[in-house]
Amino acid sequence: MTDTVSNATTGMRTSQRMLAHAWAFKEMKFALGVFLFLIVLAAVGPVIIPASAIDMNVGLRFLPPIFFEGGQWPHIFGTDQLGRDLFLRSLIGLRNALMLSVVAVICMFVLGCGLGIYAGYKGGWIDTVIMRITDVQMSIPVIILAITVLGMSRPTPFSIIMVLVIASWPVYARVARSVALAEKEKEHIRAARIIGAGDLRIMLRHMAPQILPPIAFVAVLDIARMMIFEAIFGFIGIGIQPPTPTFGTIISSGTQYLLNSWWITVAPGVLLAVTLTSLNLVGGVLERSRNHVLQGGR
Amino acid sequence: MRSGAPQGASEHLLLGPFYRLIGMAFAIEFFVRRILQGAVIVFLVSFVIFALLRVVSGDPVRIILGPMASSAAIEETAEQLGLRDPIPIQYGRFVAGVVQGDFGHSFIRGVQGGSTGGSQDSEGLDTDNRAPVFDLIMTALPYTAILAGGGVFLALLIALPIGIFAGRNSGRWPDRFALYVSSLFISLPNIWIGVVLIFLFSTKAGWLPAIGYEGLAYAILPAIVIAIEISPVLIRAISVSVSDNLRAPYFALGLVRGLSSNYMFRAHVLRNSAVPLMNLFGAQVIGMLLGGLFVVEYIFSYPGIGLLTINAIFQRDFPIVQAISILAAVALVLINMFVDFFSSLIDRRLKF
Repeated sequence: MTDTVSNATTGMRTSQRMLAHAWAFKEMKFALGVFLFLIVLAAVGPVIIPASAIDMNVGLRFLPPIFFEGGQWPHIFGTDQLGRDLFLRSLIGLRNALMLSVVAVICMFVLGCGLGIYAGYKGGWIDTVIMRITDVQMSIPVIILAITVLGMSRPTPFSIIMVLVIASWPVYARVARSVALAEKEKEHIRAARIIGAGDLRIMLRHMAPQILPPIAFVAVLDIARMMIFEAIFGFIGIGIQPPTPTFGTIISSGTQYLLNSWWITVAPGVLLAVTLTSLNLVGGVLERSRNHVLQGGR
Repeated sequence: MRSGAPQGASEHLLLGPFYRLIGMAFAIEFFVRRILQGAVIVFLVSFVIFALLRVVSGDPVRIILGPMASSAAIEETAEQLGLRDPIPIQYGRFVAGVVQGDFGHSFIRGVQGGSTGGSQDSEGLDTDNRAPVFDLIMTALPYTAILAGGGVFLALLIALPIGIFAGRNSGRWPDRFALYVSSLFISLPNIWIGVVLIFLFSTKAGWLPAIGYEGLAYAILPAIVIAIEISPVLIRAISVSVSDNLRAPYFALGLVRGLSSNYMFRAHVLRNSAVPLMNLFGAQVIGMLLGGLFVVEYIFSYPGIGLLTINAIFQRDFPIVQAISILAAVALVLINMFVDFFSSLIDRRLKF
């Protein structure tokens, strides 16, 4: 009983309890640590590694990773078919993938949650129209949309982000709408309306802070999902174009040399998988904490 | 949530048939309503794809006739295919065909199989020699069905034990184990794990074939990739719903009435836990499966719907892309409809 009262009266309580609960997991600290380390590595690595990601070096072709026989410093991941350092290329790929995914997730979060809250709060025909658009959007497979749009002209980071946002905002809209529907009947919203607060103010100041934190974990998981999409796009050839390295293009180019130079495909993938695992662990723990807190746990 | 007949009402001595009739009426109303909604969605999806292909994509005639064709020949072929008409008119013609069960002919693929792109006579092209889209889809569909079925089967094989074990031991090590496994599996990009599996089991060990399709063995590696992709979602859903049910009042009540914990689990918890799982299949898993199939079939050159679609989009083979988008939308709508219907049958607390 006290729980509902405290929820209604204090704004940020739920999200604070959620974070506190999540922080108690040792997995959370570990995963967050790994992720931050990788971010620093992706930001600093390309600057300090004494190699070029683009220039070819025929003498150093097909060097295996440093832990294997024939490996050479500083080529930790070895080199590819053109003698370029794979570790450096992977880090640049990681940096680009991270930036692209974070921007895409922020855009889809703002767009989706905005429209979702608006639909849930307004109701009526606005609600119907927005929800039918999400129905239609969710029935179009991402890959069909992506190849149709990106396969035509030379894909740019902007167009890739646009495709990802268009394909993924409906999920946020759905979730935000369903929470907004329940939220708008609560007393503090009705009270605000009686005082004379405008629609925009109610949605931004009173509803958004209540609604958004519990669905923030979806955004964390989605950063990882967008990075996978970015890699898939690169693999199919509709991602950021060469010579800029991306995980997808590196992995795809390595498939031709799989038998003798497996590391061209494997090594960048390991870096990507480690990054994604740390992100997904953070998201997974946040999700658990959300469920725990929303179910009235301490 | 509509309240239908009271629980157990259909067993009522006198009013039983009456309540059953009401139930039937609800079921019919449910299906009519959902089919109408679904038809609108499918119509809109097909129009969006149709327009998108024509507005954003390049000119397919260039690909049909090849780079050497004269611009006069290109215009003539485009006229012949109706590609120069306004989009609403083209769409009307397309819908009229679909309603009669005619999805049109591929722009590129010949009846004999194989692509005829770029090799055609610049005199124009012979409609009879191009493969009907319907036939192409029907040829590819069984392969995709095998792959999808195998992938879901393997995913359940992984997810059920891990998920149920985690749900029964909420907060203890099996729960954490489930978190680790699902976080790891969801972090293995399908393009990468696919290539790695090809490297390990096919190139290196030579145990399994990987590229193309000449027998059931060719479906094993792609199905594993699909299973890795969708099992994390299943693990999560199963463990959450099992542990929720174990905490529900009815479980404690059953124990108080002297039923064993194992009996309660087998008889009630598993059954009730199946509902969120089915909803998940409608909402998320089918979508993931669809996306996964496109990519996985592309990696393994597996001759299913996904490969057909990806090649068709790259070749601007509009009729194939249109037909497959429609079928995908229809499948999603139907599956969601049946999922909602059957979850209300399994769990009597939900009324549709």
